Parts: sequence; C-alpha cells; structure tokens
Amino acid sequence: MKLLALHLTNVRKFTGKRASITGIGDGITVVSEANEFGKSTFFDAIHALFFEKYSSSAKSVKSLQPYAGGAVEVAADVETDQGSFCVKKRFLSRKGAKITRLSDGATVAQDDEAERWISTLLGTASDGPAGLLWVRQGLLGLEPDSAKEKTQLMETRRDLLSSVAGEIDAMTGGRRMDRVMRRVAESLSEITTRTGRKAGTWKAASEVVDALDAEYVSVTAQVQSLDKALSDRKQAEASLKRLDNADAKARRDEAFTAAKAGMEKARAHVGFVTLARQDRDLAELKTKSAQSELDAFLNAIDLLNTAGRQAKNSSAEAEEAKCEALRLRTVLEAAQIQHRGAIEAVAENRKLLDVTRLQIAARKAKTEAAQLEKQITKAETALGGRNAARAITKASSATPEWLRRVEQAQAEVLKLNAAVEAQATTLEMTYDGATRITQDGVIVPGDQPIALDAETHLNLPGIGKMTVHSPDVGEEGRARLATAEDSLNDTLSQAGGETFQEARILATTRAEAETKADLAQAVLDTLAPQGIETLRTAKADADLAATGANDEKLSAITDLESHLAQAQEAEDKAQRGLSNADTEHATAREITIKLQAAADSAQQALERASVDAGAEETRDSQRAERLRAQAQEQSALIKAESELLALIAAAPDLDTAQAELKRAEDTVNAVRQERVQVGERLAALSSEIRTLAGNGIEEHRDELEGQLEAARATEARFEQQAAALARLQSALDAERNAARDTYFGPIQEELKPLLSILHRDAALSFDSESLLPSGLMRDQAKETLEDLSGGTKEQIAILTRLAFARLFARQGRHMPIILDDALVYSDDDRIIKMFTALTRVARDQQILVFTCRQLAFQDLGGARPTVEIIDT
Amino acid sequence: MIKFIHSSDLHLGKPFGRFPEDVRVRLRQARADVLPSLASLARDHAASHVLLAGDTFDQTTPAPSVIRQALNMMRAADHLTWILMPGNHDHANATELWRQVARDAPPNVILQLEPEPYALNAQATLLPAPPTERHPGRDLTEWFDGATTGETVRIGLAHGSVTDFDSSEEGSSSVIAPDRARRAKLSYLGLGDWHGQLQIGPETWYSGAPEADGFKHDKIPSALLVEIEGRTAPAKVTSLPTGTINWRRVTLDLAGEDSCETAHEAVLPSLRERALTMLDLVITGRAGPLDRVALETAIVKVAPDFLWHRADLGALGMVHDTADLDAIDRQGALRAAADALAQEAADDTLPPKAREAAQAALSHLFSFALEV
Repeated sequence: MKLLALHLTNVRKFTGKRASITGIGDGITVVSEANEFGKSTFFDAIHALFFEKYSSSAKSVKSLQPYAGGAVEVAADVETDQGSFCVKKRFLSRKGAKITRLSDGATVAQDDEAERWISTLLGTASDGPAGLLWVRQGLLGLEPDSAKEKTQLMETRRDLLSSVAGEIDAMTGGRRMDRVMRRVAESLSEITTRTGRKAGTWKAASEVVDALDAEYVSVTAQVQSLDKALSDRKQAEASLKRLDNADAKARRDEAFTAAKAGMEKARAHVGFVTLARQDRDLAELKTKSAQSELDAFLNAIDLLNTAGRQAKNSSAEAEEAKCEALRLRTVLEAAQIQHRGAIEAVAENRKLLDVTRLQIAARKAKTEAAQLEKQITKAETALGGRNAARAITKASSATPEWLRRVEQAQAEVLKLNAAVEAQATTLEMTYDGATRITQDGVIVPGDQPIALDAETHLNLPGIGKMTVHSPDVGEEGRARLATAEDSLNDTLSQAGGETFQEARILATTRAEAETKADLAQAVLDTLAPQGIETLRTAKADADLAATGANDEKLSAITDLESHLAQAQEAEDKAQRGLSNADTEHATAREITIKLQAAADSAQQALERASVDAGAEETRDSQRAERLRAQAQEQSALIKAESELLALIAAAPDLDTAQAELKRAEDTVNAVRQERVQVGERLAALSSEIRTLAGNGIEEHRDELEGQLEAARATEARFEQQAAALARLQSALDAERNAARDTYFGPIQEELKPLLSILHRDAALSFDSESLLPSGLMRDQAKETLEDLSGGTKEQIAILTRLAFARLFARQGRHMPIILDDALVYSDDDRIIKMFTALTRVARDQQILVFTCRQLAFQDLGGARPTVEIIDT
Repeated sequence: MIKFIHSSDLHLGKPFGRFPEDVRVRLRQARADVLPSLASLARDHAASHVLLAGDTFDQTTPAPSVIRQALNMMRAADHLTWILMPGNHDHANATELWRQVARDAPPNVILQLEPEPYALNAQATLLPAPPTERHPGRDLTEWFDGATTGETVRIGLAHGSVTDFDSSEEGSSSVIAPDRARRAKLSYLGLGDWHGQLQIGPETWYSGAPEADGFKHDKIPSALLVEIEGRTAPAKVTSLPTGTINWRRVTLDLAGEDSCETAHEAVLPSLRERALTMLDLVITGRAGPLDRVALETAIVKVAPDFLWHRADLGALGMVHDTADLDAIDRQGALRAAADALAQEAADDTLPPKAREAAQAALSHLFSFALEV
C-alpha cells in the first residue's frame, strides 16, 4: 500500500475546513511545516482512518473532533496491487466508511464492507503494522505506554517474525516451554533463592541438620561427661578401698601411738631440766646475795675513812672562801661610790650644754623676728600699690582693644575725609600782591587748594564779594564721613575720650596702671608667697622663741660638748669597775655557799658511814662471818650447775619426737581427710551419674545420631534436587536463547546495515520476551537501552522500525512508514546519517515525514507535497 | 535334665533415630514386647530359665524407665528364672546399669557379672563369660576349659564373635574359639552378638536377636529352645519365631524392557504384611523415562501401606529412545534441551556428579513436560 494523498475535513483545528496533502511520492515525502500547523492532526487522523472503525467513539476518535463539533471526515488516496482507491471515513456524526476506485469513481465498498476491505489491505485483523511503523510525535522508545497497545504490538512482532523465521513456538518451545520453565522455576524456588542459596524446605532441612548437629554435639559432650564420671567413680571407689584397708590403718595407728609416747617422755624430761635450772638459778642468787653483803660491809668501812677526810678538808675550804668574800665586798662598795660621782658629773655637763644651746636659739629667733617685721611692711606697701593700680585699671575702659578700635575709626574718618576732599571743588590762590581774599573773615591762604562748599562766599577786597557755587558731587562721601566720625566719637566716648589724642593718653594711662599692678604683685609674691598673714604668724613664732634672749657672754658649744664627753667616758669606766666588782663578789659568795654545803654534806656522810660500819669493836667479827657465808653459797651454786648440765646432757630430742608425732598425726589426718574427700567425690559423681544416666543420655545420643543421619540424607536429596533443577533450568535457558537467536536473525539481518550507518561495528541485542532491542553493543561494551541518550534511543527506534518495514516488504506487504517529528534529540551529524538510512530504505519503501524543523530537513531531500487548506 | 530359652541382643532402649517418630515408637514397643514373648515361649515349652547372652540393653546407661520396665516384665514371669549376662553394649563395667539392676532386680533375675560357675539346678551348671568392656580383646571363654562343675551338665554362655567370623555386629573383635564347646566339654554354648540366628557347631549357637533392628539379616527373628537330657546327651535345639516387625530390603532389578510397574508389584509383600513391614526398596538396572515416571508414581502410591518405606532409585540407570524424547517435544528448544541433557548424562568423560545431575534434570524435564 502506498499513500497518494490525505484529506481531512472538520478535524480539530481545521474546523469547517478541508486540509489536504497531495503529491505524496513513492520514496521519501517530507511535510515540513511550522509548529501548530496540524501535522500531528494528520498523523492521528490517518491512524484513525486505518485502525478505528467508522462507528467508533473511542477517545482517539473523539479527540479528532473540533470544539465546534460536527462530523469528522478523513480520507486517503492509496495505491494497492489492485489499483488506486480513496479510503474515506466519517466519524461521530453521520458515520460511515467508503472505498472508491479513483480511476472511475466507482464505490468498491461501504461501511462494514469497507472496514473488511481495509483489514484485508493491512493484512491482519489486529492492529496491524502501523503502530510498529508509524512513530508518533514524542514517542521516544520502542513501545507505547498502554498495556493494550503493547500487547497488540507484541503480537504483531511475533506474527511478523514468525512468518519469516518459522513458527515461534516450534523454535522456542512456545507455551509448553513457558510452562515447563515456570514449573522448573517454581520447583527451584521451593528450595532455593534466586541466587541459588538454600531456601524453603531445603533450608528447613539444613536448619534441622544444624540443630540436630548442635544438639548431638551437646549430648555427646554429656555422654563423655557421663563416661568420665563413671571412670572417675571407679577410681574413687578404688581409692576408698585402699583407704579403708585394715592393715594399713593398724600400722598408721601403731605409729601414731608410739610417736605420742615418745613425745610425752621428752616433754617430762624437759620438766626435770626446768626444775634443775630453777635450783641453779636460786643458788646463783644466794651466792650473789652473800657476796653483796660482804662487799657492802667492806665498802662501809672504806666510806667511813674517806668521809672523815673529806669532812675536814671541806670545812677548811669553806672558811677560806668566807674571808675572800668579805674582801670583795669592800671592793664593790668603793666602786659603787666612784660610779655615782661619775653620773653626777655627766648630768652637770649636759645641763650646761642645754642652757647654752637654748640661749643661742633665742637670740637667732629675735633676729628673725626683726627681719620679718621689715618684710611685712614692704609687702603691705606692695599690696597697697597693687590695689591702687588695679582700681585705675578697673575704672578705665581704655583697653588696648578699645584703642585699636579708636585707631581703626580714626583711620576710616581720615580715609573718607580724604575722599571727600578729593571730590570737592577747590580754590588755590596765588598771591602776587598783598591783597588777600577772605572767606568768612578768614584769609584764604595762598598756594594751597581750598575746598569749596556748595555755596562759598568770598570777599575779594577791592573787588567785592564773590559767591562760588559748586556742584554737590560728594554728598554720599560726606554722609559716610559723617557716619565714620559718629562711630569714632561713639568709640571715644566708651572710654571717656573726646579726641584721638585723648584716647591715646587714656590708653597709655591704663596700660601703665596695669604694669604697676603687675609689678606690685610680683613684689608681693616674692615677699609673701604664702600671704602676709603667714609672715605675721612666723613673726609671732619668732617672737615667742626669742623669749629669754640676753646679751651675756656664752661658752663655746664645742667646749661644753667636749666636757660632757669626758664626763661620760669617766662614767663608763666607773660602770665597768662596778660591774667587775659585783661579779667577783657574787662569785665569791657562791663559792662560799657551795663549800659550806660540801662541808655539811661531808659531815653527814661521815655520820652515816659511822652508823653503817657499826660499832668499831665488832667490825672484825662481822667481816669474818660474811666471808664464811659467801664461801658456803658459792659451793651450793657449783653443785646445782653440775646437776643441771647432767640433765641437759641426758635429755631426749624433743624436736625429733615432735616431728615423729606430727608425721604420724598428719598421716592419720591425711587419710581421714582423703577419705572424706573421696566420699564427697563419690557422692557427687554418683549424683552426676544418676542425673545423666537418669536422662537416658546415651539413648538420646544414639537417637540423635540416627536423626542426624536421616536429616543429612534429606538435605543431600534437596541438594541433588537443586543441582538437577538448576541444570535443567540452565539447559532450557540455553536452548531457548539459541532458538531466539535464530528467531531474531532476519530482523538483525535487516537492521545491521542500517545500524552501521550510525554506529560502525555496533549490534543490537533483543529481549526474548518483548522481541524488541534491549541493548546496544559497541566498542566491546554493552549498554542497556535505558542507559542510552535520548538521541541514540530515538535513532534506534526509527532504525528498528525501518528494519521491520523491510520485513513487511519482503512478505509483499508494503506499508508506508510515517514519522511525526521523530528526530527531536538527534544532533545535526546524526540527523544527516539518519537521512542516509531513510534514503537507503526509501529505495523500495514509502516514507512520510512530518517535521517542524524546516531548515534541518532540507537536506533530507525527497518529495515536497502540496499542502492545501480551504474553507468548506 | 534342663530346658531353657536362649536369646540375646534384645537391645532394649534402642532409639532408631533415623526413622520418623511414629515408626520409632512402634519399633521400641516391639522390642519391649520381646520379654513377655520370651516368657510366653518358656511357659509354653515348660522351660525353667531364659538365658540372655548379652546386649539386653542397648547402652551402658539406659534410661531408668527402660531398666525398670524390663525388670518388671521379668518379675511378672515368676515361673522362670532370667539369667542376665552383659554383652558388649551393656558390658560388666557398666557399673551404673548393673548396680541399678542389682538393686531393683526381682528374685527370679540372676545377674552373671563374674566368670564363675553358676548352678542353674542340681544337674546343670552355667559357665558365663561376661564381657568386661565393649572390646575386651581376649577370649573370655578360655576359663571354661578348666572350670570344675562336677558331674553336672556344662552350659556355656558368651557374647562376641567366633574367630572364623569375618565380622561381628557393629565391628566387635572376634575372639571366641569356635571349638570352645568341644574343648570345654560343654553340652551347649549359647552365644550372643550376631543378630541373625546361626549355628556354629553341634553345640554352639547364636540365638540371634528376637526382634530385628535392621535390614542386615534376612531370617525371621527367633529364640532357641534348648533341651538337654543329661551330661552325655546332645542338646536338642528348636528355633521359635519371635519377631513382629518384618525388616525387608528388596532389590528390584529392572532390565529395561520389563514393565516397571509389574516388576515393582511383584517384589512387594502381601497387603496384609505391609503394615508391619519396614521396606527398603533398592532399584537397580535401567528404565525408560516414561517407565521411571510410572514407577515413581507407583512407589508414591504404595508407600503409605508400609510401616516405613524407602525407595532408592539412585542406582537406576536411564535408557531412552527417540520416542521417549518425543514425549517431551518433537522439536524446538524443549527437545534440544532434552537432547543436551541426555547426551550429558551418557557422557563418560564428565564427572559422575555432573552426569547424575544431568540425568536427574532430564527426569525432572520428563516429569514437568508430561504434566503440561
């Protein structure tokens, strides 16, 4: 089928109009119009014409109706193998379809028959290839959005490819394969995850194995504990038997008894030794006592003799000391008298010196008071002068400032006066005789200009009177002069002056008064910097200090100070002599007291020694008695010592006896303790054994062993099953993919040369489910369709459709390709290449291109149809 | 004159852990019922003693309930005397077990824990050889030769393997002299350990376990009734069936051309027996995929008839022809996958595991393809 012309009447924006495209060529035809022209309206109308029943009120049909309503009419002139026809449909109102032969205008079919005619023309009762080949504006991908359209296009592709490569089902296993694969997937999913890990029943079986294994390990450990407990108990029982052996016990008891007896004997001997040692110690004490008594007696005799000598010597020494003490007392008293005389001499010299110093000070104060009197007088004079000068100053306003203003005013008056005079009419007389002209009785001087008033009356002797009238050209100047003179007078009057010379005098007078005041103040500041009152106070103080001043002759201070120093030196010397005498006297007194005390003590000792030594007539008999007693005690001590040494020599070894007893005792205790421990151990082991055996732990272990074996077998079966199913799945996948590769062969064959125009050595991979391209292989890398740019995606979409169109053509089903602004994202370079691809296909394929890119599509070439819109 | 029942290997308390819970309960109960059965046989045949030649208990420390219930059953059979000798599972060194038995045993239960002569009655003396450990490592019956028993009948009782046995139960060492009865002038030597009943010599017998516990032995579990008239008279030994559970391991060898379903039906026990049968079906040979599917269906169908049922098809090879593969598909990807798997399963150059996986995958493919 080829399109020859399209006619739209009352379609969308063509309300009440007829829009036609005529002159559509065999190859490429480009309808290049601006946006909003209505290209998509043409596209949708063609789609409705061929794929919507004339009776349809589907959304796609309703969308064709303009706002004003009315019937929508779409017609297309087509060329078929049977000739050229006009296919026309009227939608929504006065609906109908009609096929008319163009050659003679004969009606070929109407309404439903016309629909069948169209279906036959398209070659299928379904949606036909148009959706596959006709690309709407904005449809970037390969599939439409709606599920219905997707399904329809899928069927179309399947149908198209089936007819080329054979029965799809035969190749891929079809639905039978699908069901088997689904069944495999279901079976596999029952025991594995998508990634092949254990799941479902297999995982459960595996978990059972793990749980049983863990329990088995635990129970086996308990069985081992039980075995160990049984073994330990056996050993403990053997130990107990050994410990309870009667012979061994008798031997231990016998050894213990013997050791105990030996220990008691050793302890008794120790008692004997202790008694002997006590006897020896007692004898030793007695011996020492006898010796002490003897020594005391002999010592008393010696002490008596010594005390006699010492008492005599001490008495003599005490007497001698007393004499020395008396002598030193006399020396002390003489020193005291000398010291007192020295003190008095010092006091007298110091008093004389003080009186002299006071007189000198009084006399000095008197002089100062006189000077102060003079100073006060001068200060008071200066004060009076300063105050008088200040009064003048204060009374006068003729300040330097005032004088400056007077001088300024005076200068102004002089300046203005000069100006007036310069402007006035003057008269200068040069007398050559004695006659003189007078004015108002005053002779007008000669050889000098005289200003004339406005009306000047001159008396010219001998001539008469002459009145000179001068024009009053300096009135303004005179007014300003008058003002200046007034100002000068005002300024002068401020300080009481009347003339400028007075002003100078007044100012000078005031300045002199200020100078005087300053001078007087300077004198005052010098004489009484702190005020005259201060001077007066100082004078009063000086007057007071000068009290008692006289004119008597005074000794020199230096002489007086020298006398005082000599007196003080004499006093120091007397003081030292007194101190030495006092010390020597005190020492002598102390010695005297001590010697007296020693003499007293020696006397007392003599008395005691006499008592201790007893009466002199019994002293020999006492010495003999004490010597005999001492010898007797010494003999008893030697005997006791001998007996003690004999006992010690004969004593058994107590440590050995103790060690033997301890060893025997330890042996008995150790056996007893071990027996207790073994008994306890036995009880604990029996308890443990009863507990473990009571639980039938061995039986449980054996049971677990069996369960584990069965569970492992089950798990192994699942593993085998999973491996088998996975192998089956991979085999099915491989074979179906291989079949589909064959199935996609024709489309790849058509696509390859077209694709190479855009991408050298590129290839498309197809999705086995959708039968559409799913990825692009280029530069040895595969990119999914979703990852490609918009431009590449739309180019692939168009190329794929071109390939499908060529497949249609190979079947003898020539269908036009319609592209509605299908190249939106492609750059200029790609568009040129796409034009090449389109041109290549257009050699035996009609292609109708709608585009708004008028400039870009100029290079596409092809026919440019006539587009006409007329009112109906 | 003495008449007694000789039995052994009761293995009371054996858990049978590899079987499902309901089967385990049934198997344990069957073992517990052995004692009343033996008592009944003894009563029926006027036997005065039951001699248990070891492994009465399955463990050295069985659960107290197992011990108590066993002793209670023995106590109930007070018309006879039970002679209990340890075996390798419940050897004499299992102190806790035998202490408990000794403590709780009724008067008609006699323990034989020491190798000492015991007068069964005035005319007969028992020479026991109780194992001291699980693996004693020596012939414990040696002492029989020199044992003094006067003029009484000498009856030996031992547990273990004879030396010309290749292997005993569960691998215990074989040390009992096979001619011990002759050398020790025994009228009868009762042995335990071998679970199948077996006569070793004129006077030497393994009684076998009274209730089977595995598929190893194909004879019906029985006890032995022994009658000895006098010291010089030969022992009269009669086998008395005792087992209630039928353990059967059946091998079904398929030649490939047979009808698998028919062959399978032929090897199955009668319907009446099945409820008390433990069936371990081992299928070998070769079968086509359709036959295999049919066989698997048949197995699944009959399995509930049995107390326990297992079918091992691991050794069943697959044979298939074009017609079989046509059942999957005549062409296309499905058929190509089937061809690839069949080729892989037959490829001897591949590892066995890969071949097995391919064959199992092909079996699944057959199953799934036939479902749809």
